[in-house]
Amino acid sequence: MGQFARADTGEVVEPKTLRTERLVVNMGPQHPSTHGVFRMVVTLDGETIVRLEPVMGYLHRNHEKIGERNMYLQNMPYTDRLDYICSMSNNLGYAIAVEKLLGIKPPERAEYLRVIMAEFTRIVNHLWAIGFLLNDLGAFFTPALYAIEERELILDLFEEASGSRMMCNYMRFGGVAHDVSDDWIARARELVYNRLPRAIEELDRYLTHNELIKARCQGVGVLPPDLAVAYSTAGPVLRASGIPYDVRRAEPYSIYDRFDFDVAVRYNGDVYDRYLIRIDEMWQSLRILRQALDQIPKGEIQAGKKQYMIRVPAGQAYGRVENPKGELGFYLVSDGSPNPYRYHIRAPSFINLTALNEMCKGHKVADVVVILGSIDIVLGEVDR
Amino acid sequence: MIYGLGILKGLGVTLKHFIYSYLEDVRYLFEGGRYQPRHLPARQGPRARGVFTVQYPKEKLPLPENFRYIPFLVYDTQENKIKCTSCGICAKVCPPQCIWIVRGTDPQTGRPKPEPEAFYIDATICMSCGFCAEFCPFDAIKMDHDYELSAYERYESLLFDLPRLLKPDTYHARIHPSDWAREIAEKEAEKAKKGEKAAAHASS
Repeated sequence: MGQFARADTGEVVEPKTLRTERLVVNMGPQHPSTHGVFRMVVTLDGETIVRLEPVMGYLHRNHEKIGERNMYLQNMPYTDRLDYICSMSNNLGYAIAVEKLLGIKPPERAEYLRVIMAEFTRIVNHLWAIGFLLNDLGAFFTPALYAIEERELILDLFEEASGSRMMCNYMRFGGVAHDVSDDWIARARELVYNRLPRAIEELDRYLTHNELIKARCQGVGVLPPDLAVAYSTAGPVLRASGIPYDVRRAEPYSIYDRFDFDVAVRYNGDVYDRYLIRIDEMWQSLRILRQALDQIPKGEIQAGKKQYMIRVPAGQAYGRVENPKGELGFYLVSDGSPNPYRYHIRAPSFINLTALNEMCKGHKVADVVVILGSIDIVLGEVDR
Repeated sequence: MIYGLGILKGLGVTLKHFIYSYLEDVRYLFEGGRYQPRHLPARQGPRARGVFTVQYPKEKLPLPENFRYIPFLVYDTQENKIKCTSCGICAKVCPPQCIWIVRGTDPQTGRPKPEPEAFYIDATICMSCGFCAEFCPFDAIKMDHDYELSAYERYESLLFDLPRLLKPDTYHARIHPSDWAREIAEKEAEKAKKGEKAAAHASS
């Protein structure tokens, strides 16, 4: 260790006599969508993170409070805005919760359409997450651009089926809003059988063995399995830490018990494994999609008559789905009136963020943004 | 492990994309260039390669029939009247509560009449969910395909009143052909049913 000269006096000092102290820095917003909504208070020892406290809130959406004012159906388009990348599977979670209260079951074709939409959503989300993880790593925009290209093709299908690319509002209690044409199915098959496998394979070839990515991601942001469970993390964050927990297997909903697929799991719990698990999950989603598109029957898409005002019997229900970001749950309490008495959401982004401190401890400031990117959050879900 | 191999592979992928974008140009060279409307489905479809670009606003993507933006009110050109009966279901079902309806009154009797005197939709609030169109029992409100609503100020241009909301049923038929066909079929079926009833009544 060499000697240092003080900037103010020019006095030469030995390093061991330097007085150092911890510094508390407000980090963020590091992304335009996090202005005022999310920042991190980091305690630094030099450039090393000693403690990190995520500060969430101030989006002022009042999602849950508005949900208690609305009639049951009126909450459906609000769930689109919850995690705006995954509106289809948000719809599904809410529909399942209300259907539990109502005790109704959608027809077969609607169930298949729901699974198809939810699995396409998973691919959309993971493409987006991987693209932007690389953005956070400083790869600027090329990987994100390639990922978004493929996503656009899926959004074309969503737009044709539901009327909107991102705010789909597609599921209804006891079914779905619109049927899809044979041409739609043919294009979905083209994507699932040809285009998307090529694209995922290319993304894998482009990124997985890249030295820069390995150097920045391997061993960074490690979340051990016991802590992953203790923080009740879910989705890719939990499964990358070696816990093979997936709601589609743990408590199968819709018709997931009919499909052949594996729960993707990795064991290192670092940023690299969270990236790999998303690649694995896209392959598994393609597996489910192939089966669903091959087996989809003709028939009705709605059980009973579509109603805007439903009378839900008094009681409570928790509907949960394996969303791309983790377990999304809707807890509903009904007192028999046209609107929910209590409406609460278990949002995966919010819960996964609580483990950020554990993942960042001991790493450098430059790693924080990458670790945050590997959790894959959407702020609409964080502050409801 | 050879250092640099992963980076070279990655650069190979970007090079492939780069070449594809020019190959696509070559493909359309003798067909009047890449940005011809007839090439749009191929350029944007699942088999497209190269760059996904639309030369907006000169070029616009075709919209699917289900596409929904701001609602509009259908004006029945055959019967020369507004289809809306101001029943208020659209306002009731609207999640952000952006619809206001003033029911008309007959000036002679003072009784309410089944048509709106005023109808407002606040486009700054509308979340384009489409519930109003989905649950309207009279097929009087539909979702528009016009998404170019930008304005310099917020409140005057984006608070839509009745004259601005009204659009002829021919427009609705053009943008929602299958929806329109269903409406016509339902109307015909109703007419036939009425005719049958009348015939049965006459014969008895």
